[in-house]
Amino acid sequence: MLLDPGMDLTLRPMKYPHFFDRFKDAIKNTWTVDEVDLHADLADLARLTPAEQHLVSRLVAFFATGDTIVANNLVLNLYQHVNSPEGRLYLSRQLFEEAVHVQFYLNLLDTYVPDSDERAAAFAAVDNIPSIARKAEFCFTWIDSVFDLRRLETKADRRAFLLNVICFAACIEGLFFYGAFAYVYFLRSRGVLQGLASGTNWVFRDESMHMAFAFDVVDQVRAEEPDLFDAEMERQVRDMLAEAVECEVQFAEDLLEQGVSGLSPGDMREYLQHVADRRLQVLGIEPMYGSRNPFAFMELQDVQELSNFFERRVSAYQVGVTGSVTFDDDF
Amino acid sequence: MVSPCAIGGRVDSPGKKAMTLTPEKSSESVPAQRRHGMRVRERDGELTPVDVHRVLAAVERWVTGLDEVDPLRVATRTVSGLYDGATSDELDRLAVQTAAELIGEEPQYSKLAARLLIDLVGRQVREQGATTFSESVALGHEQGLIGDDTLAFVLRHRSELDAAVDVTNDLRFEYFGVRTVADRYLLKHPVNRTPIETPQYWLLRVACGLSGNPAEAVAFYRLIASLAYLPSSPTLFNSGTRHTQMSSCFLVDSPKDELDSIYERYHQVAKLSKFSGGIGIAWSRVRGRGALIRGTNGKSNGIVPFLKTLDAGVAAVNQGGRRKGAACVYLEPWHPDIEEFLELRDNTGEESRRTHNLNLANWIPDEFMRRVEADADWSLIDPSDAPELPDLFGPAFDEAYRAAEKKAVKTVKARDLYGRMMRTLAQTGNGWMTFKDRSNALSNQTGAPGNTIHLSNLCTEILEVNSDDETAVCNLGSINLGAHTTAGGVDWEKLRATVRTAVVFLDRVIDLNYYPSAQAATSNPRWRPVGLGLMGLQDAFFTLRLPFDSPRARELSTRVQEEILLTALETSAGLAERFGPHPAFPETRAAHGDLHPDLWGAQVTQTARWAGVKARIAAHGLRNSLLVAIAPTATIASIAGCYECIEPQVSNLFKRETMSGEFLQINTYLVRELKARGLWTARIREAIRRAEGSVQGIAELPADLKELFRTAWELPQRALIDLAAARAPFIDQSQSLNLFLAAPTIGKLSSMYLHAWKSGLKTSYYLRSRPATRIQQATVAVAPAVAPIPALTAAEACSLENPESCEACQ
Repeated sequence: MLLDPGMDLTLRPMKYPHFFDRFKDAIKNTWTVDEVDLHADLADLARLTPAEQHLVSRLVAFFATGDTIVANNLVLNLYQHVNSPEGRLYLSRQLFEEAVHVQFYLNLLDTYVPDSDERAAAFAAVDNIPSIARKAEFCFTWIDSVFDLRRLETKADRRAFLLNVICFAACIEGLFFYGAFAYVYFLRSRGVLQGLASGTNWVFRDESMHMAFAFDVVDQVRAEEPDLFDAEMERQVRDMLAEAVECEVQFAEDLLEQGVSGLSPGDMREYLQHVADRRLQVLGIEPMYGSRNPFAFMELQDVQELSNFFERRVSAYQVGVTGSVTFDDDF
Repeated sequence: MVSPCAIGGRVDSPGKKAMTLTPEKSSESVPAQRRHGMRVRERDGELTPVDVHRVLAAVERWVTGLDEVDPLRVATRTVSGLYDGATSDELDRLAVQTAAELIGEEPQYSKLAARLLIDLVGRQVREQGATTFSESVALGHEQGLIGDDTLAFVLRHRSELDAAVDVTNDLRFEYFGVRTVADRYLLKHPVNRTPIETPQYWLLRVACGLSGNPAEAVAFYRLIASLAYLPSSPTLFNSGTRHTQMSSCFLVDSPKDELDSIYERYHQVAKLSKFSGGIGIAWSRVRGRGALIRGTNGKSNGIVPFLKTLDAGVAAVNQGGRRKGAACVYLEPWHPDIEEFLELRDNTGEESRRTHNLNLANWIPDEFMRRVEADADWSLIDPSDAPELPDLFGPAFDEAYRAAEKKAVKTVKARDLYGRMMRTLAQTGNGWMTFKDRSNALSNQTGAPGNTIHLSNLCTEILEVNSDDETAVCNLGSINLGAHTTAGGVDWEKLRATVRTAVVFLDRVIDLNYYPSAQAATSNPRWRPVGLGLMGLQDAFFTLRLPFDSPRARELSTRVQEEILLTALETSAGLAERFGPHPAFPETRAAHGDLHPDLWGAQVTQTARWAGVKARIAAHGLRNSLLVAIAPTATIASIAGCYECIEPQVSNLFKRETMSGEFLQINTYLVRELKARGLWTARIREAIRRAEGSVQGIAELPADLKELFRTAWELPQRALIDLAAARAPFIDQSQSLNLFLAAPTIGKLSSMYLHAWKSGLKTSYYLRSRPATRIQQATVAVAPAVAPIPALTAAEACSLENPESCEACQ
């Protein structure tokens, strides 16, 4: 079984081919930080209102450390316990992507914040900015909750590990990052900070996959060991998500404290509750809030993009292409 | 029906400030509707309470003819998105944004958002002191933007021109179009950056910049304001201004194989780029890596380091903040550095050998394609060993190439190189396939020896001769076929009238143009080429319910193109009768009696008119060496609110990403059909969104509509190529033909481009593909509780259902 302790090294016959497919799909979407042009953002930053500048600086401070936290949990917890070589292939790839994200946001901060003291302060946000510190605290609690587990022997061990997986998928990547997603999309829908938007777009494309993989793992374990998912576990998941929503709401109140037209804290809360409900539904748990998505600009991210190549770098191309020259393929 | 007043809808009276969405200050008691003490800061700094009813009244003024919009919804949502102490400007902008956000549910909100935005812009223009067209032009001149001639012309005919402004034209705009116009086309005050012209003033200014008398200006203004025809962006940006650079395209010959020439090209490209031109530049004459440099007895580093410098130069030049500079480099496949060239856009590998801002195109002789087909060898030859190759085409090229092969630097399998080209297309969309021999053999400009087309342009629709001291130039404009089509068919008389006006005004640009480089100034008056294009072909097909790949669609597209070329030739012949032929006319094929369809050996349908125009050309020549080219029209189609050039729709629901932000685009033809069937419901909308804009899975939709509303991804690409080939005899330059494969493979691509070459196409453009994975959708419902995926047993693991994962049987 997937969570049986050990170090499975056997790829043939392949037990979890859908993990391997995710690995291959991820490779097709390789991107590098050099492809993102942040230069034009500087002019936009100067034009933003003080309230919007505050929003952006807080957001960037969150990004400065968010991906590093996820990478740490991946190495310290996930990789250890997902005992499938194809699953670990995907996690290796995910680790690489997290590293690219860290590099992207490093590059972003270096570009956006030319003053070295301010830059250092942004990176220290987990210590200095209370709204970010509270989110980091939430993450650390859940990293620590399974940190001492070396082998998942008992049902209790496995439940603890699943909660960690669910926390990172549903709360951190699935809610904290999705909250950040909304701010970036809001800015993008108004045509500012294209560099941030295009890089973040790629980051979120990766994050969507990370989340989907983590939910695959949960589904797989559920199929193999259905008894792990009891009422108590369900209650813990709900509590965890409720706490995550509160963490993110207080972050939103900080970001929006100076007033940003078109993005009210009330709407943001509703959006976060809506996202949390969706995470519960994926896990087969009844939604808690019954909230609707209030942001029409979020609908824009669900449809195909078409860039005018004069203006934007098209992000839709694939890296891995297969086949050989023939003249009679259908097209 | 609509008065040119502010959003409040009241006609401005002297002494009374234009009403805005902002409530008027009032001593009345605060109405109950105001939301927990929400206040707005007026321009004078005073805080006043927000009143939903007043916002509602302001919105309601603009809903004439929009029976499906709900003004109350816009008003309440606007107020709920507001924060206490927001400025009145923020309130106005939020109302526009709020209306725009409802477009996904009901496309009519697009028009409402457009009207609210136009109203907002109008107020900004008035606040700067321009209340009429002539005042706007005078203000522009005062600020150093409008040219002296245009100012003088406008002041001379002030009353006539001011009276010509017709704000009912504003009602045609969709939101995306107006947003684009407002952000990038309207002249802005150099200091406070707010617009000093309204959309109608802008179009009239463009017309005045191209006209000799007011009647002509007003007639042209009416045509473009009807959105039935639009000049290209550089003309829309710059007509009537101080720098009247109105050409879209520049084709620069390869630098000579020497340092001075290369650096001269950098300079020329920078100058051309600065005033909005797109650049094509060949590089085939410059020696490859490892070739000897006699002056220093060193070895060359090849073309890549030079292209890296070009890349940086292009990125540095910003076209007046409106868009980034853009250039495409053309290389012939016998060049020794061709393999490194194909990697220039890769996103891995050494950064010093990557050019992320340059576009790449292959300029391919038929000999290469023949060897690909025959699976033969292909020689890479250094241009310093065979400097004549770039100037030759057809049999002369074949002969010289074969003779030069004994000096080959390297020999590769032609198919391997072709495979590399296909890989580059799939991975980057770049590395466009353009065909040198067809482009030259079927050009009016290559009628005399020594005249060679060395490359196409940035968008692969322009094919013009050039040389070291002549840079080819082209002015473009496109007809909106959708605006010439009703359910009864194409209005041919209207189409002819549009072509006549368009050609006259395109021709005029040649004389009024500001040429940023001496080489461009030399070429254009000699050849006087123009490129009249087409957009909204898909709109016409939807209106007439013709599936894109149907024989009737192909026939219509071909007949439209014949009509356009024929009428354009007649108009140009008429100009020649008045002003004389273009100076290089004797060097053209038309001078020998061969018009473009003759070069193709194509059947024409309007035989009497063709015979007539030939006789006129034989007597007086042509004013223009080339007349028709189908450009991509990305931006002007947005302004006109139609589908781009000759392209099928990319999706029934998609978003456009531009410098102005993101915009939801919805197929209004589909919405109309769905509404008529009572199918425009939240459930169907979500199904379309879930399917990323495809309607193929909607069971309630009849088969014929599913067929009609296929997307570019769902159409056979063979049909796109065949349509292009059928209309090609009536396009004397070329067409920007994009091809779409969601998941390209080398096999599909190599088959597709071989077919394109065999069909006789001169050029092709982007290969569009789709990402392998995507961001999780956030606003469609979660699939109900996920069915767990069972782990596969060893036996199942080699199931054919998992071919991607299983190599056991391979």
